[in-house]
Amino acid sequence: MESVQLIPGQPIPIPPDFPIEWPRPTDLDIFWMRDVMHFPYQILPLAASFVENILEPSQNHGAVKVEMPVRFHCRIFNTHYYSATTPVLGPDGRPPQPPADADPMDHPTVHAVMNISDFWENQLLPEIKQILAHCESIDLASATSAQLVSYFDDFMAQAIRSWQIHFEVAFTMLLAMSLFDDFYQEVFGADALGAYRLLQGLDNKSLEANRKLYALSRTAMETPEVRTILETHPAEQVMAALQASKESRPFLQELNRWLQEYGQRGEMYDTLTSISWIEEPTPAIRNLQDYIQRDEDIDAHRQAMQAERERLIEEARATLASYPEAVRMQFEGLLCSAQAATVIQEDHHYWLDHRATYQLRRAFLEAGRRLAAAGTLAAPMDVVYLDFEEVRNALLALLQTPQQLHERVAERKATLAHFAAIQPPMMLGTLPPGAPPDDPGTRAGMRFFGVPPQPSDDPNTINGAAGSPGKVRGKAKVIRTLNEAGKLAAGDILVTETTAPPWTPLFATAAAVVTDAGGILSHCAVVAREYAIPAVVGTYTATHLIHDNMQIEVDGDNGVVRIIA
Amino acid sequence: MNPTASETSDYSQPPIRWLGEADCCDPAQVGGKAGNLGLLARKYPVPAGFCLAADALARHRQADYQASILLAYATLEGLVGEPEPSVAVRSSGVDEDGSTASFAGQYETFLNVRGGGGVLAAVERCLQSAFAPRVLDYRLQNDLNSTEIRLAVLVQQLVPADVSAVIFSANPINGRRDEIVITASWGLGESVVGGTVTPDTYTIRHHSAAHITAQISDKERMTVPAPAGTTEVPVPRLLRRQRTLTDSQLLEMAQMAIALEDEMGYAVDLECAWHRGKLFLLQCRPITTALNKGHG
Repeated sequence: MESVQLIPGQPIPIPPDFPIEWPRPTDLDIFWMRDVMHFPYQILPLAASFVENILEPSQNHGAVKVEMPVRFHCRIFNTHYYSATTPVLGPDGRPPQPPADADPMDHPTVHAVMNISDFWENQLLPEIKQILAHCESIDLASATSAQLVSYFDDFMAQAIRSWQIHFEVAFTMLLAMSLFDDFYQEVFGADALGAYRLLQGLDNKSLEANRKLYALSRTAMETPEVRTILETHPAEQVMAALQASKESRPFLQELNRWLQEYGQRGEMYDTLTSISWIEEPTPAIRNLQDYIQRDEDIDAHRQAMQAERERLIEEARATLASYPEAVRMQFEGLLCSAQAATVIQEDHHYWLDHRATYQLRRAFLEAGRRLAAAGTLAAPMDVVYLDFEEVRNALLALLQTPQQLHERVAERKATLAHFAAIQPPMMLGTLPPGAPPDDPGTRAGMRFFGVPPQPSDDPNTINGAAGSPGKVRGKAKVIRTLNEAGKLAAGDILVTETTAPPWTPLFATAAAVVTDAGGILSHCAVVAREYAIPAVVGTYTATHLIHDNMQIEVDGDNGVVRIIA
Repeated sequence: MNPTASETSDYSQPPIRWLGEADCCDPAQVGGKAGNLGLLARKYPVPAGFCLAADALARHRQADYQASILLAYATLEGLVGEPEPSVAVRSSGVDEDGSTASFAGQYETFLNVRGGGGVLAAVERCLQSAFAPRVLDYRLQNDLNSTEIRLAVLVQQLVPADVSAVIFSANPINGRRDEIVITASWGLGESVVGGTVTPDTYTIRHHSAAHITAQISDKERMTVPAPAGTTEVPVPRLLRRQRTLTDSQLLEMAQMAIALEDEMGYAVDLECAWHRGKLFLLQCRPITTALNKGHG
């Protein structure tokens, strides 16, 4: 970690090996943070184009929709993803202040929170399913070149709308959980994790995927051939072995159905440029190989979580029984919205980050195949080194004279290789002049992304945030990509920069989780609570200070990790 | 304790007098506060309650009135419609002349008392606080018939207020008789009365919904019933600046204030509570500040 002098309101010194060309002059004046939670890896040019053309505009579409007081900015600096927020300013150049007697409940943001379940179930989800049905019905492989360009435009439009939907619900979803947390701590006293016990044990798509994968592992154990293949082959060779075994065919069919349903996801949050589990199912195979060695009653675990949740809700209701009706109604309303939001937080990934974005990937993969066949690209997968406009122009050129883009791809690969060796700074631009405002949106954002932890005086103590309760000791395994997931054995502690829904199966193996990035509302914290394993999130430094096989203790209640040996 | 008819026998007048009944209006028997509430309860939504009249307390043995209290509390359960309803137990001194002019004779209040045993204990503590140390031991040890004892005890449903309010049938600030002023805040009235919260202020001019002005304040604290009585807690952030009363609630309260002013013949200051959409009248007093003559 580099140490630089930081002065509030002043430009942040830029490391000499990380020179920045500010794409817009005003970019220098705002505060940029690396979003390690979503994008721990380098951003490929196609993903950068996605950020510019889809991610940033759709975030602001969502912000306008619920009248958030901020706007979002996303940039790729030297192959890394940074984001910033700026306040919406009034005509006088200052953030508009609500009237002194404004009722905070009577605001579009709060209305959206209270209405989130109905909005998601009855408006957004049907629209998403329509988009998916439309895209999935299109046979890209047999399209003519001219057709492919029009499909490309169509898929692009569908992706834009999908990501608008994503941010029509995402902010509201975080706010719903954060407002419930605020309410809980105000009424029942300071307890960082208390509110979330009332949101546990609710089923979602990440858990469903995992449960069905576990069920597949039971099927595998019942078929000796399948079991032997899983036990004796390296994960990478299992699919080929299964295909060669006649007895394994029914299992293989089931596995493929599972992959079609849940495998439209890649490594992290970027489904566009990351290889999906359908294309490369090794992560799922690795999970299966682990699961056939265990015997767990997943349903009993979930029922216990649910019973605990209902007991705590009744306890809270009993405390509130003599409170004013307005308080009780607010509790019920926020609880209902926060529970819905807890489910939506995982489910929106499944529907939008994964399935809807996988359709866009499908369009680009087809484009890559055509461009490679025409010699524009050296290989189909090189399409990820182009941007949206370049791909579209190259497809149009196929109708007349194909382009040759080998050099451009080589340049971009070189840039990526150059910055792969350089540690990107966490912050860029200008440090904000003061502390962040104490408003519901900022609090929700901080609970999602986390905040820099208190520095630790003791080199063997790493501070983070409480993510999931409990205290556990175990052997640390630092895992930065799913390719490294094989080294995680039962009882080990997963130490990683961040996690995403495709990482959910590892939570069934790990005894605890520690992340560099994220807060109490991050995917990692939410899923750790569901698996009832301790989590310390947002340490900023864990993957740098902890090494494989170190004995560590994770104190999830207090957000502290101790290196024992 | 199991109340039976034999235990409650042997007195000329029943020791229990219910608010709203004809025998619960005499301040010489039930004290100023209960007498006032008793009168109001005949026409207005005063929370249900009963009184141990001064004479009865003076004349009867402890066991007798205890049985009567338990029976009355069981009746109150039915009136309130919930098991073991929360009550306030108050002692109320009775002036020798039975005057209602002052409430200075009120000695003790126990809020949020639940269950027969709790009520009995609270009544005992009311009596102790009133009599100790002068005659307490003597009274407890003897079947006392003393004309010195002039104390009544009121046991009344504690309305777990969603909103507490004070209504002035005339504006006490500018003296206008055509303005009704209502202050209101979340929870029980203690935070408003005790001044730990700045309540919302609503002004209703010409007694019309078209002329309501609302000053919504940042209501940071509220009082709620707690196991040992009441407690003051922070108001959840999202509710602090929320309006406490709707226009139709304000008009209902204004109508009650006008009716009471007409009946009393003077401008009134009312303490009220809303619970489950129902308005309760807790207290009615004259406004003591100077007011303009006539309306308008």
